[in-house]
Amino acid sequence: MTKTRRQFLRDTACGLTAAAMVNSLDRLSIVNAMVQQQPEVASDYKALVCVFLSGGSDCNNMVVPVDAEYASYNTVRGPSGLAIPQSALLPINPASGRQFGLHPNLSPEVATPAQAAGLLGPWNQGKLAILANYGSLLRPTTKAQYQSNVGGAFRPYQLFSHSDQVNQQMSSIVNTTGQTGWGGRVADNTGSLNGVTILPMSLSVAGGNLFETGASTRQIAIGTGSLASVLSLSWNGPASANPFTNGSGFRQLLGFDRGQTLIRGASDTTNTALSADLILNQPDPTITATFPGTGLGNQLKQVAKLIKIKDTLGMKRQIFFCSLGGFDTHTNETATDPTQPNNAGAQGNLLTQFSQAARAFYDEMGAQGNSNSVTLFTISDFGRTFQPSGTGATAVGSDHAWGSHAFIMGGAVLGGTLYGAYPTLALNSPDDDGGNRGRWVPTTSIDQYGATLAAWYGLPANLLTTVFPNLSKFPTQNLGFLG
Amino acid sequence: MKIRALALRKRLASLCCASFAVLVCAASSPSFAASAIAPSLFTVSSSSTRAVALESVSMLAEPFSLTSEGNFSPADPRTRITVFCTNLDFLSGEPASALTADAQDAAGTIYPLKVEYVGTVPNFDGIYMVVVRLNDLMSANLGDVLVRLNLHGIASNRARVAIGQIGGGPADDSAPNPAPATPPGAATQLTLAQYQAQYNAPAFASDNDLKRFLEQSSWGQRGDDSDFNHLRAIGIPAYINEQFNTAPQFVDSSTDPKFALSSDYPFSPSYPQFYPGAPAPACDANCTRDFYTLYPLQKQFMLNALTQPDQLRQRVGFTFHKFIVVGGQQLNNNQPFWFAPYLQTIDRNSFGNFRQMLFEVSLNPGMGEYLNMRGNSVISLVNPTPNENYAREIMQLFSIGVDTLNQDGTPLLDAQGNRVPTYDQTSITNLARVFTGWDLDANKISPVDGTSTSANYQDPMVPNVNRNRYDTNQKTLLIDIRSPNPVVIPACGSPCTTGTSAQMLAADQAYATTSLNSAIDNLFFHPNTGPYVCIQMIHQLVTSNPSPAYVGRCAAAFANNGSGVRGDMKAVITTILLDPEARGDVKTDPNYGHLREPVLLMTHLLRAFNATDASKTDGVLVSNSPSNFSNNLGQNVFNPPTVFSYFPADFNLPGTNLFAPEFGILDTSSSYARANFMNTLFVANSGNGIPVSGTNRPQGTQISFASFQALSTTPQQLVDALNARLMHGTMSTQMNASIVAAVTAITNANATTQALQRTQTAIYLVASSSQYQVER
Repeated sequence: MTKTRRQFLRDTACGLTAAAMVNSLDRLSIVNAMVQQQPEVASDYKALVCVFLSGGSDCNNMVVPVDAEYASYNTVRGPSGLAIPQSALLPINPASGRQFGLHPNLSPEVATPAQAAGLLGPWNQGKLAILANYGSLLRPTTKAQYQSNVGGAFRPYQLFSHSDQVNQQMSSIVNTTGQTGWGGRVADNTGSLNGVTILPMSLSVAGGNLFETGASTRQIAIGTGSLASVLSLSWNGPASANPFTNGSGFRQLLGFDRGQTLIRGASDTTNTALSADLILNQPDPTITATFPGTGLGNQLKQVAKLIKIKDTLGMKRQIFFCSLGGFDTHTNETATDPTQPNNAGAQGNLLTQFSQAARAFYDEMGAQGNSNSVTLFTISDFGRTFQPSGTGATAVGSDHAWGSHAFIMGGAVLGGTLYGAYPTLALNSPDDDGGNRGRWVPTTSIDQYGATLAAWYGLPANLLTTVFPNLSKFPTQNLGFLG
Repeated sequence: MKIRALALRKRLASLCCASFAVLVCAASSPSFAASAIAPSLFTVSSSSTRAVALESVSMLAEPFSLTSEGNFSPADPRTRITVFCTNLDFLSGEPASALTADAQDAAGTIYPLKVEYVGTVPNFDGIYMVVVRLNDLMSANLGDVLVRLNLHGIASNRARVAIGQIGGGPADDSAPNPAPATPPGAATQLTLAQYQAQYNAPAFASDNDLKRFLEQSSWGQRGDDSDFNHLRAIGIPAYINEQFNTAPQFVDSSTDPKFALSSDYPFSPSYPQFYPGAPAPACDANCTRDFYTLYPLQKQFMLNALTQPDQLRQRVGFTFHKFIVVGGQQLNNNQPFWFAPYLQTIDRNSFGNFRQMLFEVSLNPGMGEYLNMRGNSVISLVNPTPNENYAREIMQLFSIGVDTLNQDGTPLLDAQGNRVPTYDQTSITNLARVFTGWDLDANKISPVDGTSTSANYQDPMVPNVNRNRYDTNQKTLLIDIRSPNPVVIPACGSPCTTGTSAQMLAADQAYATTSLNSAIDNLFFHPNTGPYVCIQMIHQLVTSNPSPAYVGRCAAAFANNGSGVRGDMKAVITTILLDPEARGDVKTDPNYGHLREPVLLMTHLLRAFNATDASKTDGVLVSNSPSNFSNNLGQNVFNPPTVFSYFPADFNLPGTNLFAPEFGILDTSSSYARANFMNTLFVANSGNGIPVSGTNRPQGTQISFASFQALSTTPQQLVDALNARLMHGTMSTQMNASIVAAVTAITNANATTQALQRTQTAIYLVASSSQYQVER
């Protein structure tokens, strides 16, 4: 196989001017940077790493009260076998008070010492925070307001639907279908922190996604292989026709017929790839932590590699997107013994994967000396019904719901505690939406959650309410989990 | 209020525009053209590109402000402007929603403009006034924008309109003032039936129109042109009918009385979930591959697409698969015996009635497994609430969608301009209670050891023998077109609570069947179902952004096939393919078309380059082993990541409000992977296609492009031939010249090598281009 890019870079190493590089950048992001008042190029490095738990992770089994309320939990979830036994839960003592336990597979090494470690370590170091019962909200909303929905002011668009709630988690636009993500809009408005770079600010290791789609900025998506191979245009034909060569026929065609919308869209994607290809062709840096060879492990390892060579890439600010699917556990959510790292039912197995990958990433950031610069956080479609769904006693699961819990981890996180308000675990409790299945009305909005992350990242305070359209309706605009 | 305002606008404009129209018409010299008629916007003179445009109420000329007082719509003061045009080739009675409009500013941003009214100018037959609403995202001093109208996929010339101030704006197009193709005058507008009937004469369709038809209705035109020549001989309507009557490969009703096989997927042996250990012979590598992975079905999919004649059934069936989804991974980790009956169910019903499709899919055990209707129960005390999964997704994805739709597929809006949900959580809870009590039929005999150990994923699910699974209380469903009141399924009552337990069980089972039929009817007769199904079909077969008028024509065919039958898929498919928005030799509307999804991209090229009989290919291009080409491109056939399919049906092209579902899996990685596939197929293996690789790719896939090589001494001929073969003649002159130059630059002392390299490079450049990959 011809080594297209190396040849190209060698042949043109000095000939490629900065102007040529800028020309191949996403034109819109440059325009955007010029027309808006933005901060100066940053002197420090910061990255947000979004881990999307796709399908709607059952928050009610991720963080469980182990005080008197465990009995209430067990009353509803115990008979069908959906409850995690109290003895299996990993006790945590949040600084916020009340006693909780984590799902055993959020730190599988406790029950199974041979297993790679999960999240208890970072929690105990005060670097992991839990945000309880956040979700899509138009404004602060009580159960009664949700039910009466006066003036249509309290019900986000299409609650409980996967596609719409994923859209809202990623866009923080909750009254309709968002067409840009909040990560993308943060990038739209903080591009100047990076100065002029070849890579876009937003990078996905899990395919194209709405979260990183801005009004003017675009993401690049790469796989999890070696950096030298993730974007590699193969060519086995005559060298003179190499598509990667500057001015090649392949490149020329990308500039034609741009009045046709879909053609322009496809060409823009290829152009973004060609630009990123210029700089991503790097030797893989040495990674100290042992990442699990799982889907999410490989994704987070790729992110860790990119962070390690951030100076080579010339990046000061980056937004990464990872994804772990399979959380839509209508059935087979758990198993008789939920401590088994890979035989604990669908959710338990996924939490093993999540916790071990996230922990390796946490350790690697520490080894790189980047802990304080990198914050990993989770989002998910929605929480799931507290009341189980009725499919056979051994195959029990839960249905789509609303409020959910999130994890935020990193050196800058003020962790070891719960933020937000944990819901009262009882059917028809004050947190129940009134359907009596335990769909929690969120007490914190995705806008507040995102804005707290964005403010830390460097989004100027005066742009927070632009990026997060409903933020101004909430009394607290910064949840305080980042120092 | 709004209706009145529009009526007033129309009247005022009618009164005032006559003099403009006279001026403009005098400046144009009419001429006749034979090909598709493009709408023609009037400009103020033959030497100007400024549109004849008026603020629609005040009749003031440009520049236009963004809002206008007294436009009779206090709630929506956005300015409406009236432009004038001719050559609108409407069908008889076609609504304004057939027209779309857009405006481009100096920065290149394109703003869709909502067309609110179209009418003829009184006393000037054939001259139309079109009222458009200025886009909300336009800024006050935008300067000149270029405005364009599109009808049936054909764009008008673009004329300048000033927003805020006159001047600036994009450069004029190269031919901004085309002469009208028809003289102003009373045009004969065809009814849809008359339009379709024109195609009964095979000679009516141009060759490029026929090629476009094959792109929409098959996996690609064959390189030997046998399909094309036949189509040209008999015409599109006869060809469609012939396709409807082309039997799939595997037709056999004798194997199993409950399961009539009529499919392109063969009967799949009933292997058990877990292959037994000793003393049975071990399941070796081939056994595992053939009975515990999707390899045989994925391979069959590609073989069918490349080699089988029932192309239309396959395209329609794959479309159904993309919105009525079962993913193989969840079926015992891709076991074919669990998955094949789902594909067979789709094949059996693709040309049938949508009601039957919905019913049979609901009882398909693979679907039951995938979305948890199998085993769904109200086992009292333990799990009082049925699983909502199937109830939610059959509504959201398989039949009616989340928003209440008008019959033209546009969302119904409430007084505040918000969309109106089709159903709420209560509807889901009620419907979930209908879907209780069903489970697998009796086990099948395992071919491994002859015992009854294979869970029955073949026959339709049946009402289970456990009485405590059924919810026999009353359920309230949705309102459908048959009544102004919601459908109510009454409680079973005494039959389910009296008599012997055998009698009560029989009553439960009968109740479950009746209830299921009521629920399926409720969804089938829901007003959304026609437009919803039509949108899915049109997106996948023709274009991502059909006009509402097009969707409306399709929905009308869904509602009534002409013989009073609702849900006849033959009528729906015929209407989609014989619509003026689908037909024609070239489409110039900038938003027209759709990105070829990975499998369509692959099959179109493979068929074009003669991998079209079973001696040329083993079909191993989308299977898991040894190398899944389509997976690299982002589409793992029969394993979409979720019930939301391979890509979201409502995905927007980033930065626009246009639908572009296939862009959901086009990213930087997969755009390179697409180009790399072209290299693999056409260049890497000396142009011989995909090589043999072990037992899992026993034959490889050969292609041939010898006829193109013969043209390579004259690169222009080579590129023109590829343009005709792959792009039905739509390649732009810029693109054509660029490829000719690139090909001409390839020289080699060895003439054979030069011919090969030139041809490979030319094919690579066309096939990897966005211009080709967006089917238009």
